[in-house]
Amino acid sequence: MIHLIVVKRIKPIPFSGFLIPLISLITGLLLSGIILYLSSGISFIDLMATILTAFRSPTVVKDTLILTLVGISLVLAFTGAVWNIGSEGQIHMGMMVSAWTALFSALADIPILAKIVGILLAAILGAFWAFIAGVLRAYAKVDEVPVTLMLNYIAYYILDMLVYGPWRGKRTWGYIRTDEIPKILRFQRILNTTATWEALILVIITGILVWLLLRYTTIGLRIRVLGSNPDILRSAGISVPLTIVMALTLSGLISGIVGSVYFFGDTYRLSYPLEEHTANYGYLGILVAWLSMLDIRAVPVAAYIVSSLRISGTLMQIGGLGGVETMFVFIGSVLLTYSIVRIFSEYSVKIRF
Amino acid sequence: MTEATAKPTNIFSSPPSPSGIQEKIVEVRNITKRFPGVTALDNVSIDIRKGEVLALLGENGAGKSTLVKILYGIYTPDGGEIIVEGRKVSINDPKDAIGLGIVMVSQSPQLIDSLSVSENIIIGLKRYHVISPVSRVEEYVKKISEEVGIKIDPRVKVWHLSYTQKQLVEILRAILLGARVLLLDEAITYLPLEEKKKFYKFIRRFADQGGSVVLITHKIYEAMDVADRITVLRKGRVVGTVEKASTTIDEIRKMMFGERAKEISYERLPLSTPEEKYVLSIKDLWVRGDFGEFIVRGVNINVKAGEVVGIAGVAGNGQRELIQAIIGLRKVERGKIIFLDKDVTNKGTKHLRKLGVGYIPDIPVKYGVSLDNTIMENLAILPTFANFYIDWGKIKDLAKKLIDEYKIMTPSPATPVKLLSGGNIMKVLVSRELTVARNLLVAYNPTRALDEATAIKVRKIIKEKAMRDKVAVLFASEDLDEVMQLSDRILVINSGKIVGEFTAEEAERGKIEKLMVM
Repeated sequence: MIHLIVVKRIKPIPFSGFLIPLISLITGLLLSGIILYLSSGISFIDLMATILTAFRSPTVVKDTLILTLVGISLVLAFTGAVWNIGSEGQIHMGMMVSAWTALFSALADIPILAKIVGILLAAILGAFWAFIAGVLRAYAKVDEVPVTLMLNYIAYYILDMLVYGPWRGKRTWGYIRTDEIPKILRFQRILNTTATWEALILVIITGILVWLLLRYTTIGLRIRVLGSNPDILRSAGISVPLTIVMALTLSGLISGIVGSVYFFGDTYRLSYPLEEHTANYGYLGILVAWLSMLDIRAVPVAAYIVSSLRISGTLMQIGGLGGVETMFVFIGSVLLTYSIVRIFSEYSVKIRF
Repeated sequence: MTEATAKPTNIFSSPPSPSGIQEKIVEVRNITKRFPGVTALDNVSIDIRKGEVLALLGENGAGKSTLVKILYGIYTPDGGEIIVEGRKVSINDPKDAIGLGIVMVSQSPQLIDSLSVSENIIIGLKRYHVISPVSRVEEYVKKISEEVGIKIDPRVKVWHLSYTQKQLVEILRAILLGARVLLLDEAITYLPLEEKKKFYKFIRRFADQGGSVVLITHKIYEAMDVADRITVLRKGRVVGTVEKASTTIDEIRKMMFGERAKEISYERLPLSTPEEKYVLSIKDLWVRGDFGEFIVRGVNINVKAGEVVGIAGVAGNGQRELIQAIIGLRKVERGKIIFLDKDVTNKGTKHLRKLGVGYIPDIPVKYGVSLDNTIMENLAILPTFANFYIDWGKIKDLAKKLIDEYKIMTPSPATPVKLLSGGNIMKVLVSRELTVARNLLVAYNPTRALDEATAIKVRKIIKEKAMRDKVAVLFASEDLDEVMQLSDRILVINSGKIVGEFTAEEAERGKIEKLMVM
């Protein structure tokens, strides 16, 4: 009989911060290659060619910037062991107020102000959306995973209601959606990519601020300690509930900003039903955060990889090599391998006969 | 399976069976184990005999835990061999050890809270392919728990159990696994004294029936109370093995601490001369316990600047909750806490910390430090040292100063606390709290995790702080020696009330003990 013996490692494997994501990616790709070949006969060479194209695609820059921002948002929450699965909803609340600012507020006449206010309001709404889950978790002890997840749907449906009803546009050729925002309000594209300067600036500023927050402020240290031992926070005289709310709210704030970046820089309008038009950045961001091993500095790299995989999925769909599901096969495979490799990095497993 | 057969022996007196006692069950030969930077075990050899209780004694960081972890297959040695019943064996994981009848119980229970006692035991057995019917397990738990005098309902969910009950379940599981050699790695060190004594009897009986027990501890009294032989480790080497019957505490101290043994003395520390002003006044305090009942019932205490007040009492008489209420971690239901002439009742921990109150909690690795974080981070987490921006340069200087002053053994101030030995972790905590304590230090079992020499050193540090900086100290301890040694004034707590008060000069051990259990 074969026995598996699992023992916790005393010391982490050297270079694990770098090796774990790498191994997961390679294994995940091989795995999805096999699955795709078996399910729809896509050859591995076609698959690799598509992926390589995706890595050099001009659209990858836009996704990378957006996913970096989502990744930063989630790294912040995950560091405190607060599981924000609701980035998707926070992004949509951000999109909602950005749309309002651009389409319905008086600010639309002053483009620069409209953009700034749009970003700020998006941050506030995103923060508020996460704050709800934070308060429930901290003071009513309701697990934040289902709450943040369910709030995603509430956000979709609020937007659906608005787009279907009062916000429905006049020049939509029968589609149920809002009008597009005027060109002058759109974020400025970088060269011939679909990415925008505003997104780049926001990523840089947010990245630096969050890194500084985690390193050099008591709030950051408290969030980090929250993830390792909340009891000591109590002994030190620091409110644990407040720290939880803080971690979730700050995370939501950044996700909210993503909503404005996505709206002003990419969609320019909201389309009904929202849940079918979403790019799923909020969920992809979870993959980015884990691939970065919760290190802010690694988030852009992880975001670039995930973006490329996402785009290769789209490319395959266009090339008739499979549906959009191929992308989910990739992502699922990578995340699965990642979880397994993480276990091996923390536990040693011996096989015995 | 070593089923506890109904042998009609009197478990209270125990003549060692002369025939079996010389027979070796386990021989450890020249074991060496190195970790990066340290040699944890250097050529260590010990024998474990059938039917004996062997104490493995040593100060914090002597290598005791490493040795038992090797015997249990958690670590593999770099050199040496293990012989079980004359046969050379290799133990690569706990399963190998269990197959040989060697089972370890550690200080932290490894039970699943949401399962019942018997379910936990059965899962533990199944993992190692020992199958036992539920009814048999339940019966066994019931029988033994009655014999030991610690009641456990085998059907109750584990989260209902106290620490003592959990540890008994762990030991029962080990025995059901077929343990012939029971490794108790500080497994009973942290139990309240009264309950510890019940375990002693149980261990004794297990040995009398032919089992072997290795008791790993840093408390000499624990070894003297229950062991037949005592092997002393120091800095990864065996200093020697002595028969309990033919040794003295002084001799063992010398073996454990070498030159430092001279520093060990339970003489009362010099009395301080408190100032007239009261730093802390507690008036008719009522506090609820974890189950909603009043556990502190109308306590009045006054502590002057520079005075050290110790609260003696058997565990579970409200001292833990009293200390928690003072530091703001537990709600005061009735009564008042006056600190420096201001009412601070239910004002919260942060408020008190900022006013200069230090706090040394029970179970330091849970409530005192964050193991995954560095020494520096464990300092910066206190509002006293950083308010919003963390000046790491300043924190580093402070860490270096404390490392220097308290002789904390660490590679650097940026080392994660979990890589330090138990004694050094405690020093990180104590040094930090004494820095915070400008006016008052409250503590609960402040030296429980420490070996004698380090414990006495910590007491001296606390006393000096009180005398030099006129800091008021209020602490509770289950260790009466500690209360007697450190206090200027002694209070006795029983059932949530202060039932006696003595100045250090008039305190008599017998009288205090009587009040404690009254």
